[in-house]
Formats: sequence, C-alpha cells, structure tokens
Amino acid sequence: MRVWLTLWKREVASIFFSPVAYILTTMFLAVMGVGFWSIASYRLTDGATIYEVLRGLYGGVAWFAVLMVIPVLTMRSFSDEKRSGTLEALLTAPVTDQEVVLAKFFGLLTVYVIMWLPTAAYILILNHLNDAQATVDTGALSGAYLGIMLIGSFFLSIGLFCSSLTENVIVSSISTFAIIGLIFLFGFLPEVSPIPALQTFARPFSPILHMLDFARGVVDTRPVVLYVSGTVFMLVATVSVLDSRRWRS
Amino acid sequence: MIEVEHLTKHYPGVHAVRDVTFSVKTGEVVGFLGPNGAGKSTTMRILAGYISPTGGVVNIGGLDVTRDSLKIRRQLGYLPESCALYMDMRVKEYLRYRGQLKGIPGRHLKSRVERVMEQCGLLEVRRRSIGKLSKGFRQRVGIADALVHNPDLLILDEPTIGLDPNQIVHIRTLIQELAQDHTILLSTHILSEVEATCDRVIVLQQGEIVESARLDELESRWCKVSNVHVEARCVPEDLKTLCKRVEGLRDCNVVADGDWSIAELTFARGEDPRETLFQLIREKGWDLRELHREKRSLEEVFVNMTSGNRPMLPEEETAAALPETLEVSS
Repeated sequence: MRVWLTLWKREVASIFFSPVAYILTTMFLAVMGVGFWSIASYRLTDGATIYEVLRGLYGGVAWFAVLMVIPVLTMRSFSDEKRSGTLEALLTAPVTDQEVVLAKFFGLLTVYVIMWLPTAAYILILNHLNDAQATVDTGALSGAYLGIMLIGSFFLSIGLFCSSLTENVIVSSISTFAIIGLIFLFGFLPEVSPIPALQTFARPFSPILHMLDFARGVVDTRPVVLYVSGTVFMLVATVSVLDSRRWRS
Repeated sequence: MIEVEHLTKHYPGVHAVRDVTFSVKTGEVVGFLGPNGAGKSTTMRILAGYISPTGGVVNIGGLDVTRDSLKIRRQLGYLPESCALYMDMRVKEYLRYRGQLKGIPGRHLKSRVERVMEQCGLLEVRRRSIGKLSKGFRQRVGIADALVHNPDLLILDEPTIGLDPNQIVHIRTLIQELAQDHTILLSTHILSEVEATCDRVIVLQQGEIVESARLDELESRWCKVSNVHVEARCVPEDLKTLCKRVEGLRDCNVVADGDWSIAELTFARGEDPRETLFQLIREKGWDLRELHREKRSLEEVFVNMTSGNRPMLPEEETAAALPETLEVSS
C-alpha cells in the first residue's frame, strides 16, 4: 500500500508538473463556464426549471468537455515513459505491473476530480439566481456527479489502455479520442436509428441517455455495473499489454 | 550469486541470446563485453526481471528470476542502458521516490538517500532538477538510484556510455569503491573499462558466449606471442647475436639509438625470457636501461575474439612457434 501511494503521488505530481494540466483545466472550465452561462441565462428566462438546466449542463455541455479533456489527460501516462525509457526503471523496481496501472489510473482520476471541483460553484450561482423557486435538488446533483465520475473512469481507462500501446503521445490521444468519440456517437442510436431493433438494442448502452438519467437523479444499477466493469476490463487489458513486453519483441 | 543456465531469448526472426551459461560468485566484479547487439542488454534485462527468457534457468541468490522476480528486485540494483530519469524531479526528490518504491522504511529513508548522494558525489546538485544536469551527473543519479536500497548485487548496463574522459574516470572510481562490498555485473563495449574495473570478463558475440575468463587468463589464451623490449648499451649486431641465443625466439628487431641498441623481441606465447636475457647481458657487462615484457592490450584480444578466431590449442601453438624464418633487420 505504501509503495502504491508513492506511485500514485508521483502520477498526480507528474501531471501537475507539466503545463498541460493547467492549459487543459483552463480550457475545460472555459467550455463548462460558457455552457453554464448560456443555458442559465437563456433557459431560466424561458421559464425552464432548474432540473432542465442541470440536465443541459451535465447531460449536454459536459460531453464536450469530457471528450476534449480525457485524450489529452491520458496520452502521456505510459507513452511518455515508454519513449523516454523511464518505464524500464519503473518496472524493474520491486513493484507489480498491477500496482503501476492502478496507481496511474487513480492518479488520472484524482486529477479529473480536481478539474471538476470548481464546477460546484455553478450550483451556488444557480441557487442564488433561482431564489424564487426551490433550490437545487441534492439527489439530482449527486446523480449528475456520480455519472460524470463513472463515465469519466471508463473513458480514462480507455485512454490509459491506448497510452500503453504506443510510445507516441499523438497516436495515443487520437486513438483515445476516436474510441470515446465513437462510444459517445453510439449513444445517439436509440434516437436517430431508423431500425427499431437497433434502437432497442442500443438503448441500455447509450452513455448519453445514462447521463441524462443520472442528471435527473435516477441512479440505475445497470449503467453503474456497465461502467465499473468496463473500467475494470480496460485496466486488466492495460496490465496485459504491459506484461506483453516480457515475451514480445 | 547469479547462476545462468542455457539462457535463450528469441525475438521474431532474431536469436538475441542463445544458450548462454555463466555464473557470478558473490563479491566478484564481472564485465560483460561485446560489440553492439551482442545480447548484453537483453541478458541484463532478463536478470533485472524486465523481460522473460524464452528458455533456460536464471537464479539470483537462489531465487528463480521468473517466479520470484519481486523478491529478486528488492536485493538487486539495476541501471538500465538508457539511464532514463524523470527530468521534472530534483535529485534528492527522485532518490527519495525511488527509495520509497524499493521499500526502504521511512526512518531509514533520509539517511540512505544522504548516504548514496555522498557516495556518488551528488551533494552539490541535490536540489537541482535532473533535466538541468549534465550527462555525467545524470549517470551518477542513475547509479545512486541502483544503490539506494543497499542491494547486494548491482547490474550496470553501460555505466559510462556517452561520458567525457573525466566523467568516465569518476564513474570508474565509484565502481571500484563499490566493488569492495558489492557483487557487480557491468556491461560495456569499451575494453579499457573492463581492464580498469573487472576481475573477470564474459565476452558475448551474436548472443553467444565466446569467452569467459579471468583477465590474466584471457591474455595468455588469446595472445599468440609475447613481446619483450630490451634496451642495452652495445652495438646492435652484438645484441642481435645475443638475443638469438635465447630459446623460443621467433622474431627480433634491433635498432640503434645513439650509444644504445633497442631490441623488440617476439617469443612464443607464455614464454618469459626476461631472466635469461638479463643474465646474458650481465655476463657481457653491458649497461641495461630497460627490459620489460609488453602486456597485450585487451583491445587486441578483443579484436581476435570477435573476429571469429579461436583460442590457440597447445599443438597449434607448438607448430606456430617453430622459428621457420628468422629475419634480422638492423
């Protein structure tokens, strides 16, 4: 555990030592801020409820932010260490591959959570703007953040996996973006597919619908299981990729 | 300490290491020598547990390298060939991090880090960021990292590569100091390095061991002749005649240098005619200002080995030692 904490601390520090984290957080908060501002100022004057604002923010705008942030956040994890050769020093220390992968994953997740923290301010602003109506429902709010963390974990683990495959950060980030982008677009199928069978099939797997549910405060166990097991699967795959150095060229 | 038996590593289309067997005893300093691509790094990576062998058995301290890799890694210090470090960290911070990773208990961490920084001459740069250090200092940080958990065994892959002559001397001195209480396996393609630091050498070529011997044995095994240098005050012709009386002479070159005559004599391998020569010259009553046997440089030995020659067998040597032509030049 002590070794694991050391690795985790190093991961978080390495992300914050590089300017990428700051540029990314700035961009992320700019997108979220503009999204929040436009939804809050236009929708609330239209007489929309606070729930609709939350859904618009966490079920809609958040996607752009997530799709933009995750490939850049994860691209360096393994690729950089492979390229510079520090991976060899890391993996010849008395640590297991599993410990390394888990430390990197939770390091990324920590940074991801830190990036989302300032968005809590939106809720305070909403409550202030909205004093006539009821204040923001804590159920809906926690649902929204739970969804963001679950889907975020899954996407981070995909990014980590892509990063373990290549020593080129560009290849790593583009392939992550392609995969999570496809998963996101797949989420539209239940709405846009002309084939009813495909609609029924895609509905339980649509991250967009899941996120809208979460942002309404509806926490179904099925998407929770889906994202947790998806994350575990990708982490196991990453460990296997790392382990393959032993027998591959 | 290290027992390697029939070690093999295949990559698609390449036999990086084939059927390599060797052992390193506790306290020994062994040099891995070979041209680039000979399989030195591959073997060391297997020992350090970074990659797995295709076949064969590797034991370190009685533990199997594939089954007990984690336990082995705790008692082994490894310096990878690339010596890659985290450029964004400071020297002390990096060594603390590595020390924690290697499981040094918190109460010993500080003193261990101080100790290795002192040993490797890093105290003056302890607060500098690694990215801003010279190559020589980075290499020392790498060695300090390998040392930080006080392992019994050090595996250093090309510890002096890319350094300037001064830095090479520093690293060599450091290795010689470490050799007093560590078992060391180091690889290099620089021959003088082995001469300066190692007790024994293992020569690899194209993934196979071509030689494994103590340094002095190596010389006598691979050098076909031994050369003796004589400088005496006499006429060159007299010195030549005198030298011819010594048994086993194969070639003799004498030149004049003022009053003095300088003779370069070639004898069969293993012959040591210095005593006889001295006696003969003393009988003549000549002044003698120099008489020594030239040590063959390892460089020549290495060229011999890696160019596909075999060590000479005793019968071949006898045949070659027959003085067929004895050309005397003046």
